[in-house]
Amino acid sequence: MIGILIVFIGAVLVLFLGLNKPEGGMKTLSSLVLFLAGMMSLLESLSILNFEKLSNWAPKNMIDFSKGDLMFVSLLAFVTAAIIAIFPTIEEKGSDRLGLMMLSLTGAFMMIGADHLVMLFLGIEVLSIPLYVLAGSDKHNLRSNEAAIKYFLMGAFSTAIFLLGCAFIYGGSGSLSLSEISLRMSIVGHLSEFPALIKVGVILMSTGLLFKVSAFPFHFWAPDVYEGSPNKVTTFMAVVVKIAGFVAFANYLQAFEALASWYSKWLIILAVCTIVFGNIAAISQKTVKRTLAYSSIAHAGYLLLFLITPMKANMWILFAYSVAYALSTVVLFYFNDKYSTKRDYGFGMFSGLLKNNQSATILMVVSLFSIAGIPVTVGFTAKYYLFTSAFEVSPLAVCIALLGSAISIMYYFKAFKPMFESANETNTNEAHSGKIHFVVYLMVAASIVFGMFPYLFERCF
Amino acid sequence: MEIIILPLILSLLAAFTGSKINKTVWGLLSFVSLFAMIYMKQHYAIHNDGIWHNTFDVPWFSNGIHFTLGIDGLTGLMILLTNLLVPIIILSIQTNNQKSLIPLILFMQAALNGVFMAKDGLMFYIFWELALIPIYFICLLYSSKDAFKTTIKFFIYTFVGSLAMLASLIYLYLKTENHSFAYDELLSVQLNYTESIWVGAGFLFAFAVKIPIFPFHSWQANTYTNAPAQGSMLLSGIMLKMGLYGLLRWFMPMAGESIAFYQPIVVLLAVIGIIYGAVIAIKQNDLKRLIAFSSLSHVGLIAAGFMTLSAVGIQGGVLQMFVHGINVVALFYIVEIIETHAGSRELSKLGGLAKFNRLFAAIYLIIVLGTAAVPLTNGFPGELLLLKSIFDYNTITGVFAGLTIILCAVYMLRMYQFSMLGENKTSLNEIGLMKMIPLIILVALVIFIGVCPQLVIDQISPSIQKIMLEISNSKGVLS
Repeated sequence: MIGILIVFIGAVLVLFLGLNKPEGGMKTLSSLVLFLAGMMSLLESLSILNFEKLSNWAPKNMIDFSKGDLMFVSLLAFVTAAIIAIFPTIEEKGSDRLGLMMLSLTGAFMMIGADHLVMLFLGIEVLSIPLYVLAGSDKHNLRSNEAAIKYFLMGAFSTAIFLLGCAFIYGGSGSLSLSEISLRMSIVGHLSEFPALIKVGVILMSTGLLFKVSAFPFHFWAPDVYEGSPNKVTTFMAVVVKIAGFVAFANYLQAFEALASWYSKWLIILAVCTIVFGNIAAISQKTVKRTLAYSSIAHAGYLLLFLITPMKANMWILFAYSVAYALSTVVLFYFNDKYSTKRDYGFGMFSGLLKNNQSATILMVVSLFSIAGIPVTVGFTAKYYLFTSAFEVSPLAVCIALLGSAISIMYYFKAFKPMFESANETNTNEAHSGKIHFVVYLMVAASIVFGMFPYLFERCF
Repeated sequence: MEIIILPLILSLLAAFTGSKINKTVWGLLSFVSLFAMIYMKQHYAIHNDGIWHNTFDVPWFSNGIHFTLGIDGLTGLMILLTNLLVPIIILSIQTNNQKSLIPLILFMQAALNGVFMAKDGLMFYIFWELALIPIYFICLLYSSKDAFKTTIKFFIYTFVGSLAMLASLIYLYLKTENHSFAYDELLSVQLNYTESIWVGAGFLFAFAVKIPIFPFHSWQANTYTNAPAQGSMLLSGIMLKMGLYGLLRWFMPMAGESIAFYQPIVVLLAVIGIIYGAVIAIKQNDLKRLIAFSSLSHVGLIAAGFMTLSAVGIQGGVLQMFVHGINVVALFYIVEIIETHAGSRELSKLGGLAKFNRLFAAIYLIIVLGTAAVPLTNGFPGELLLLKSIFDYNTITGVFAGLTIILCAVYMLRMYQFSMLGENKTSLNEIGLMKMIPLIILVALVIFIGVCPQLVIDQISPSIQKIMLEISNSKGVLS
């Protein structure tokens, strides 16, 4: 609870203090606020600090952060702090961008903690509405405008479907509270067939969430929106929205655990399609950003596999995967932003990197290894945990997922070609010589440390 | 543990000092691991009773997944090979401008030691992958041409293979009673026939790509040819042995239930590989390509010998693994010397080099004879045992496999003749003594093992008997 309050107050402060001022000063403030929120939530989750009173103040049946939820809250707060800190300052006036991003993060926290369908809906809206603005925040860029309108239309559409699903579920179960629904479902499950209303409701709600996490067959907006939005916003969307979406997805599906054998059937198919489609489509992409967009679709596929496992005891696996995905994705988007020039968005931007900047090369190599799932990075351990737990439910799907991660090598390693083929290149690339933010070093170090000592995840939960 | 940590520390040191320190120093420093290894071997496997002794064991991922290292005769021989060859490979570096080569080789050494000592399924997989990373970068950074294309093919090929192995390992892991990756636990899983075929397929695919067995070899020739000499040495000298070791230690005992199903397939493919590799080797002009195909042929023989499941075949195969490592590294070393000192490695441009350096010619000849399995060189005993086992298994297969001796003599002697004898087309520059010392060590080993192979076989036979016991325990067939 403390995290959501700090971020919200911080957002309002940044919004008003920074009105009509350049981003510079507010950048430090907002990343500090987010870091504080993340630290507090982490300490609360580890039971070092106690904010019992504050939590009692909130209506328990609407929003309730369990220990696991708090880990996700702190992860997202840290990641957003890192995103704000490492991406370069935009010269124009407009600290409101940072404020909006923090507001959007508040929505993500609401989604994570939601115990009530109305709260979940509110969370999705609070997350999305600032993002519609942010996607178009590069006002003079046509691509950005396109991304904003596309994202807005798709988002509005999917939220409407989600809301319809809530209505069906209310009709079928007579309650909107997730814990209440869970209780009733387990009773009904022993007595008779489930009402069709509930199944329809689950499908509609899942559709809405599948849109948000960009899973097959509702993924098509992602590459265009990711490409058009400013890099900072794309990173936020790819990481925070996706992780919050999956936590919300997992939390709400847990209420329908009695239906697990039914919904896992079609979730497996969707997961496999997402993995296959995302990976294959990514191979032929020309720009780094689109490749990363399709890679994030593929990762949504792996995460869908999590939803078919017994989730309650396994939330730490989702956490491990989120950490792995967030660390490497943010670093890769950072380098994409740093080295892309006005003319070159393709992999050519990395040409001669080894010659010009060795530490950047090492950081990128580790991140690419991590996102591709090669030991001893956190990407491997997370994938290992995820696949092992899904293997018990569907070995075939896991085999396809393994094949998918083999395919992913093809496009992740594309970056190595320009990076290392520098023998005959004499001119130094000016853009490569810049200093790298220390947070990037920390993130890459973390992805190795978590990869070597993976039991930290299990202990924390 | 020492022999994994030591190379890692050296690797980091080498990475930070860059090219300030001479490569010879690193080569000598990396001998330290060899001494550490010999000390450890004395310490643990002194009884040589075939048991895979734990030398290190801590919980890692969770309670079921430990960081366990073991040592027995087989592992001991493999890490002896690794730690003996790596310093020689480092000493073989000719230029000083490949500054990340030494750290990568040392990192590779650590990973390889891990592969051979891993006594836990997941750890085996992790080291298996870790060994791939340095060699990938060695090939990518210092390949002569088409670096990206050949290396990505090599990487994806082996990566798909290892993922298949991971799937098999996870399947076995979920079948164990208390979810553990420990070698003995995985071994005690009882599979039915269909399960065993699938699990076996996963393992076999990973190892067949690495070895490589006939239809999975297409990455090999280009990678070997384009890779820098050190990369080719690592790949053929040690990394191939990972596949063979995996076949013996992991595939055969784990999928023992279905081994009768795989036996004829693998033997057939391996024998096809023997002849195919040898025939292509005869036609090659590029020395490195020639050695690559000869390696395909030799390794096929070892795989076939393993799959006959007889004590003779497995003993011969393990001996031959050790011997092939020495010979092939020596051959690549010689090619590297010829290329840098005579300016070319194409047979059509070489000739008559023998008169420039008699010592070099003599060494070259001994290595060639060793590879061609002439009696009293190291190639002979292993090949004899392997061929005997294949003859016992099936006479016709044995006859075809036996062709390898003739074909090998053809391409090896052709290689020697066209490069060292005959008309003089190019000259050989002065070769320094420092460059000859590693070769002299290797030649001494060629003759030593050729004269007393029993020393090696004594080391490995108890562990081989134990492995054969494990295969027969899992309802496999034994001849």
